[in-house]
Amino acid sequence: MKRKSEWKRTAVQAASLLLHNANLKGFVTGKIYQGDLKQVCVPGLNCYSCPGAIGACPVGSLQNALQKSKPSFPFYVLGFLLLFGALLGRFVCGFLCPFGFVQDLLYKIPFFKKIRTFPGEKYLRWLKYVVALLLVVALPLIYTGVPYFCKYLCPAGTLFGAIPLLSLDQLLSDQIGPLFWWKLIVLIVVVLVSLLISRPFCRYLCPLGGFYGLFNRVSLVQLKHTETKCVHCDRCVPVCAMGIDPKTQFDSTECIRCGKCARVCPTDALRLGLLDLKKKKEEQTA
Amino acid sequence: MKRAGRIAALGGLLALGAAFLSVGIGKGQMTEVLSKAIRICLECIGIG
Ligand code: SF4
Ligand code: SF4
Repeated sequence: MKRKSEWKRTAVQAASLLLHNANLKGFVTGKIYQGDLKQVCVPGLNCYSCPGAIGACPVGSLQNALQKSKPSFPFYVLGFLLLFGALLGRFVCGFLCPFGFVQDLLYKIPFFKKIRTFPGEKYLRWLKYVVALLLVVALPLIYTGVPYFCKYLCPAGTLFGAIPLLSLDQLLSDQIGPLFWWKLIVLIVVVLVSLLISRPFCRYLCPLGGFYGLFNRVSLVQLKHTETKCVHCDRCVPVCAMGIDPKTQFDSTECIRCGKCARVCPTDALRLGLLDLKKKKEEQTA
Repeated sequence: MKRAGRIAALGGLLALGAAFLSVGIGKGQMTEVLSKAIRICLECIGIG
């Protein structure tokens, strides 16, 4: 069986993690970066309170715009989100997002059992839209002053922000209370479940992934399936990072464009590429 | 969705994204983003 290596994607993910967090001296001093670059939203889920972060988290920035007592329409943050979504769709998740990369690394660790999907998977996947509408939009708008997703759920904030900052800053760590322990439990659960199933946070909870998924059908980066080349061997199915069937769900909101399926396809029926501007007859359109 | 529809939707979304970004910059919203991002977010790190 032809099996192309995954190292190139891993290298891009590692480079993206470094780029999102290029303020390396922050990990020594315990101070966050405060330069002008921080007004630019990054594509992936990366806490702006990470000592290394050089950009703004789009989910945090969106909640910040909405939680004000007189919120204004968040043109600026939505502009970034629309551009990232239209150009890349969930390719952001497959290649660029630091928290997605962390989950991929965790899933590579041998564990007594790996599973492809949970019972009730179809319904669990809707949770991320509930999280987006409730914790990112509705609650910050109604009960102003609190970024609910950041405060009660985001495990990226705990991993990239809380753990390094609190271990470097005594004044901050003196303030640890029940909220921190709650957030740590959320992170530990996400880490443990990531050993068992690929990308659980991305599948079920991430509002950013849910948003980018809405663009998958029209984004410039596409996963393409050529029906005439497909021999229906189903080799792509067990390797899918998101537990979908790539040959029929290549356009799905769930696909993170990781290209794992394309790498095992023996006939190149699946391919990661750009939206064709010129018409090609054999390519299947949904 | 047909290829032409995808291309039109992509073009429309890119134009909308660019327009939103420009309006946001015009309204000074990047300053709001900056001022939040350069302060430690206590909620994010679980102590606020
Ligand atoms: S779903 Fe969220 S956490 Fe997962 S890769 Fe995408 S943006 Fe990152
Ligand atoms: S369908 Fe293919 S590209 Fe999409 S998530 Fe699954 S393996 Fe990755």
